[in-house]
Formats: sequence, structure tokens, C-alpha cells
Amino acid sequence: MAASAVIDIKGLSKIYGSGGKSLVALDKLTLQVEPGEIFGYLGPNGAGKTTTIRVLLDLIRPSSGSATIFGMDARQQSVAIHQRIGFLPGELNLWQGRSGAQVIHYVASVRGGVKSIVKQAEELAARLKLDTSKKVRDLSSGNKRKLGLVIAMMHSPDLLILDEPTSGLDPLVQQTFHELMNEYRDKGKTVFLSSHVLSEVQAICDRVGILRDGDLKAVQSVDALTNVKFRWVHVQFRDDVPAEVAQGLRGLAAVSEFNADGCHARMRLQGDFDPLLRTIAAGYVEQLHVEEPTLEDIFLAYYSGGGEDA
Amino acid sequence: MTGAVFIETFKQTWKQMVAWGFGLAALAMMVVLMVPLFDMQDMKSLLENFPPFILAMIGIGSDLEVFATNEGFVAIGFFGKSALIFAVYPVVMGMRITAEEEDTGIMDVLLSLPLSRAKTLVEKFLAYSISIIGVVLLIYLGVGIGASLGNVDLDAGRLTEVTFYLIPLMIFVMAATMLVAAVARRRMVALGVITAFVVASFMLQTIGLAAEGTVAEPLGAVSFFTYYNAGNILREGFIWPHIAGYAALSLLMLAASLYRYERRDVGV
Repeated sequence: MAASAVIDIKGLSKIYGSGGKSLVALDKLTLQVEPGEIFGYLGPNGAGKTTTIRVLLDLIRPSSGSATIFGMDARQQSVAIHQRIGFLPGELNLWQGRSGAQVIHYVASVRGGVKSIVKQAEELAARLKLDTSKKVRDLSSGNKRKLGLVIAMMHSPDLLILDEPTSGLDPLVQQTFHELMNEYRDKGKTVFLSSHVLSEVQAICDRVGILRDGDLKAVQSVDALTNVKFRWVHVQFRDDVPAEVAQGLRGLAAVSEFNADGCHARMRLQGDFDPLLRTIAAGYVEQLHVEEPTLEDIFLAYYSGGGEDA
Repeated sequence: MTGAVFIETFKQTWKQMVAWGFGLAALAMMVVLMVPLFDMQDMKSLLENFPPFILAMIGIGSDLEVFATNEGFVAIGFFGKSALIFAVYPVVMGMRITAEEEDTGIMDVLLSLPLSRAKTLVEKFLAYSISIIGVVLLIYLGVGIGASLGNVDLDAGRLTEVTFYLIPLMIFVMAATMLVAAVARRRMVALGVITAFVVASFMLQTIGLAAEGTVAEPLGAVSFFTYYNAGNILREGFIWPHIAGYAALSLLMLAASLYRYERRDVGV
């Protein structure tokens, strides 16, 4: 399996600094990304996602371990690898005084085959509703992100490496982005994207790697991750939370961490809504609010006993 | 594609090149136009009474004979001083080779393309070197236009040498900046170090000139500015060992920068 992996990372560590001030950004990371999959690299800020990507791109060098892409060493054969990849950094900065079209032309000229690449860039820009005639300094952060996506995808790379790709994009463009990713997968190409947004990863990824403090905690399918998923439910009653409702909710197997404060109740729900709805119907419900768990919640659920069965 | 970084770098730089070139050319033209306003022999008599340190500060040193010519006046009045102003330009360009684009994160985008670090840096170095030559050509044009407008009789050959001697000097400054940036990583640190280096070199040159015949004179030899002495160039023309020294050191620093940059993390 590993032999055919598009990305094959083995025992990769990255330690910044030395002595007492050293920081372990990646700790013996081992990971494979298979051809034709969209792999979500999930973790809170500072987990080591960007560090992994920067090692893959040979921007930083590992302290130990190795990484190959398309079977080529990420360090020794970086130029050949870069010919086949597209990259969008998490914090995108481009040449401020150049227009989008000029930046596209520059990147295309470095890659070679300017005409066909620029044509594809124009098509992508149209789909993302990006005006490439504007100078980079005049683009909003969302439009800069679009330009970054165009640059990453315009040469139809075999592998896309995207660091927080939808950060700053409006929902409509995010939808277009999801479509583009699905089209990519349909063409048999591979995407490695980092994110700290669970819903984004769920929407488009096939498999997910969960990283925390430089340590890869789990690699699993999105379905398995969804099983971990729960919701926070907030119920606002007209009067104080009725005693029988509170008692009923506490007794539900799917409800935990129940907390009542005046007319407001908050609980964690893992499972179907029906038993909960029937129980709260005994009171007069003014508002019902369902909150998706944060990535941190998922981590806590996953690593503090909740695990995959939680 | 070979040359894409070179072409783009030059495209992004030509406006600054023209601005700097016109600015320095205007300054050169002004100095040339001032020549007819002075009687050089009177000036020489006046300056002979100045203490050596003041003459060194002005950039004349013991070159009073040379100074008392039209070319000498222009060479020392403009080229002696403009070297320090002009040195800001290669520092700015040298910072752009790595430090500036690293600090802004642009280098991440650039190096994710099919480009080796060495190729990227060399193409940028060459593009900025060409822009330095462009600035020098504009300065030369300024001197020529000034001489023509003011009907000033100048030895074109010698002034050509003084002008074009700036090229190896400024490329040397850019290479030094590039090396400092490759080692220091951070833009502000690199800028601080290279500014201190340039200013200290200029001061050492001044001390060396002022302390001629004393134990402090050798200090001047440490300064890279010392090897661009307009008076000496007027007397002797191109001093090839000095030019070769600038070129060799520039190449050495370029190689050291590539070596260092190839082995370190980018943007950390």
C-alpha cells in the first residue's frame, strides 16, 4: 500500500531550536496518502499541520525521518516533485504591485506551457468569480485566496497541497471549491488539505488524519469521524427548566453533561433527537439551538474515554 | 522555464531602477553644472589650508591636485559622496533576493514551483545586477547631459572609468547584503547588520584618508569603499586588481549565500 502512496511520510520529526528552548513541531509522524483520495489533515492551530506541509514542499528540513511524494524524495527531488503539485499556503502573500493576471502569467512561465496554463487559469477564475485585472494589493483576503487557488490548480497538478484552503472564502465560493475538489477526485488526482474546520473536512474528504501537538493521533475515514460526532443542544424555556424535564433529560442515554440554569438548559447529545424532543415537549420551549462540536470537543471525546464508540 | 524569475524580477524592479537612476543622474548633473562656477586653482589654494580630517570628510584626502581639475571636482564632488547614497540601492535589492520575500511569505509560493533554491537566487541576483548597471548608465547619462548643457570640458574617458567602476562596488554591496540575509534570516536583523557594515566601512575609509601617514592609516584598507577612490581612478584609470577583488569577493559571497540558503529552513 505504502509503495503506491502519493505521499509517504515515515518517522518524520521536526524540532525547532535546541536545548531547553526547543519545540517539537512534529513527532515521528508516519502517514500515507493514497492516489485519488482527498485527505483531510485535521488539527487545531499549532498542531503541526503547516510544518508537515512545509517539509513536504522542502521549505523546511526534517530533524529526522523522511518524506516521499510520487516515490521521490521530498528533499533531493523537490524540483521534479514541484512540477506535479499545486500548493496553496495558509497565509498567502503575493507580489503586491502585480495584477492577478500578471501573477498567473509569472507562475505559468516558471512552470512552462504558458498558453494552456493561462487558459485554464482564466476558466478557474471565472468559476471562482475572480477579477484577475486587479492588483494584488487591491484584492480582499477572500479574493487573494481565490487567486491562490487558481495558481495552485491552473496546471492540473497530480497532487494538490492546500493549507486551510477555504479560510476567508464566502459560502458560495466554498461550495464552488467543494465542487472543484470533487471533480479533482473524479479525475483520479490527489488532494492533501489541512483544516481545523470539521465540517469542511466532512464535506469533501475521504480520509482524515488527526494531528495534535505534532503527534498523529488517528487516521480514519470520514464516516468513522462522524461516528464520534455529537452536538451541543441549547434549550430556552419560557419559565425555569421544569423539574420533570430536567429529570427526563438526565435519564436519556443519548444525553450527557446536562446543565440547567434558570430557563436555559444545555446538554450534549449523541444520537437521535427524537427522545430529547419528546422530553422537552413537557415544557414550553421558546428556542432550540444546536451547536456543532468544535474540533477540540471531538478531540476530547475521542481521547478522554468517548473514543470511537462515544 | 529558464529565465522566468530573472525576467519577472527585472519587471518588478525597473521602475525603482529608473527612479534611482534619474535621482542620482540629476545629482551628478548638478555637480557638473557647478564646475564653471568655481576657479579650481582658487579652490585648491583654499583647501590647502584645511586640516586633513576635514579634507578626508569631504572625500578629498591628499588629492588636491586631482581635485583642482574639472574631472576631479566632479569625481570627488559627486562620485565620492554618491557611493554612500547609491549603496542604499544594492542593499534594498540584496534584501529582496531572500529576506524580504521570506518575511512576507512570498518565498513559500515561489519555492513551491519547480525551481531550485540556487536557480531562484542566481536569477534574482542577475536581475538586480542588471538594474544596478541600469542606474549607473543613467548616472553616466546625467554627467554627459550636464557637461553638454553647461559646456563643461571633461575628460570623458576618465569619467567613464569613474562611473562604471561603481558597478563592481555596488554588486559587491548587494552580494554582501544577500549573504547577511541568507545567514541572518530575518529582514530587520539583516538590514541592521548590513547597514552597520556599510556605514562602518564608510567611516573607516574616512579615517584612513584623514590619518594618512599615521598608524591609523591601515584602517582605511579594511573598508571596501577605499577601493573605490575617485581620485585614484582619475589618476590611474581602472585599477584592475581592485575590480578583480570586488568581483572575486562578490562571487565568493554569492556562493556562500547559495550554500547557506540551500541548507537552511525557509521562512522560519
